[in-house]
Amino acid sequence: MHEMSFAAGVLEKMLEFAFSHPDRRLVEVKLAVGVLTCIDPEQLAFCYEAIAAGTVVAGSTLTMEPVEAIVKCAGCGYHGSPKLWDDGLASALAFAAPATLCCPECGGTAEALQGHECAIRSVRYTTSSLAAP
Amino acid sequence: MLTIQASPEEIYDIELEHSLLEANEKLARENRALLDCHGITAVDFMGAIGSGKTTLITRLVAMLRERCGVAVFNGDATTCADADPIAAMGVQVVQIATVNGCHLDANVVGKALRGIELDGLRLLMIENIGNLICPAEFPLGSKARVVVISVTEGPYMVRKHPHMFLGAAAVVINKIDLAEAMGISVEALANDVHALKPDIRVIPASCKTGAGLDEIAAMVTAF
Repeated sequence: MHEMSFAAGVLEKMLEFAFSHPDRRLVEVKLAVGVLTCIDPEQLAFCYEAIAAGTVVAGSTLTMEPVEAIVKCAGCGYHGSPKLWDDGLASALAFAAPATLCCPECGGTAEALQGHECAIRSVRYTTSSLAAP
Repeated sequence: MLTIQASPEEIYDIELEHSLLEANEKLARENRALLDCHGITAVDFMGAIGSGKTTLITRLVAMLRERCGVAVFNGDATTCADADPIAAMGVQVVQIATVNGCHLDANVVGKALRGIELDGLRLLMIENIGNLICPAEFPLGSKARVVVISVTEGPYMVRKHPHMFLGAAAVVINKIDLAEAMGISVEALANDVHALKPDIRVIPASCKTGAGLDEIAAMVTAF
C-alpha cells in the first residue's frame, strides 16, 4: 500500500499551500502519474481524502491524469510509444496491456524517457471564505 | 484605490510542480554518494515473500565473506529471524523493521548506513520487503536491483508484476530443483522476463542444490 506514502507527500504539500495562503480554500489537487509506475489512482485518491479529513484542506479531492510512456532505443534510434505486452490476457480481463522496454522496431532494450513520474501538477482553489465583507 | 475581490465560488487553477518521488530520489543519491566514496557496491534484492531472498543472501554471504567485506540490511515488517543467522557468520547486519511499511525507502537505508562501519566493506546486500509492487517506486541508492522469483510462484508471476522487472538489472529464478514437481517451465519464466526487458540477465538457480550460485556471486561482485 505505497499509495499512503504518496498521499502523505501530497497532503504535506497541500498543508504548506494552505498555511502560506490562508485566504484560499483548496478544492482539488491534480497529479500527473506515469503509466510505468504502479500507483493506483483510486487508492491514492482514497488515501488522500482519508488523511486530509480533520485538516484545513479537508474536503479537497485528489485527481490524477495519466502520463503515457515514451521510450528511446539506443540501438536503432526508435523514439515513441513502448511495445505493449499484449498476449490477450490483459484484454480478456479488460485491463490495459502492460508497457515493456522491448523496442518495437528492433527488439532491443529501450530506455523509458517518460512514464515514471508522479508529481503534483496544479491545484484548484476558491477564495470564497474571504468573499464576505 | 480600486480593489477587486473574487466573487464567491470563483475557482482558480495554479500550476504547482512538485515531484512526489524527488524526496526519496534525493536521499537515494546521497546514499549512493556515501557508498561510492567508500568503494562499496550495494545490491538491492526484491521479490515476493518466500521467493528465497534471505536464503540467497545468506548463501552469498557464506561464499563471499572471506573474499571481501560484506554487510547485509534485512528489511522485514517485524522480527530479526532473518538477520540473526547472518549475524552469526560474523558480518555486519542491520535489521530494518518497517513495522507497517510495505517497502524500504532511501531514508531508512540511509539511517542503517549510519549505523554500520563502512570502512573495509566492498559489498552491501539489501533485502527489500517481500512485496512485488511497492519497492519498485523507491530506489535506495543501490548500484543494481535484482529480482528474486521462484518456480513456486506460478507460471504467470512475471506477467502479473511487470513493473518490478523494468528497473532491475538481473532476475534470479530460484528453486529450479522444484520446477518439475511444480510443473513450471523455467524457460517460459525467463522468456516472460525478456519480453519485458530483452537485455536483463536471468540466472536460474537453486539455493538448495547450489545451482547458479557461483554465477550470482560473480555477478553481484562485478556490478
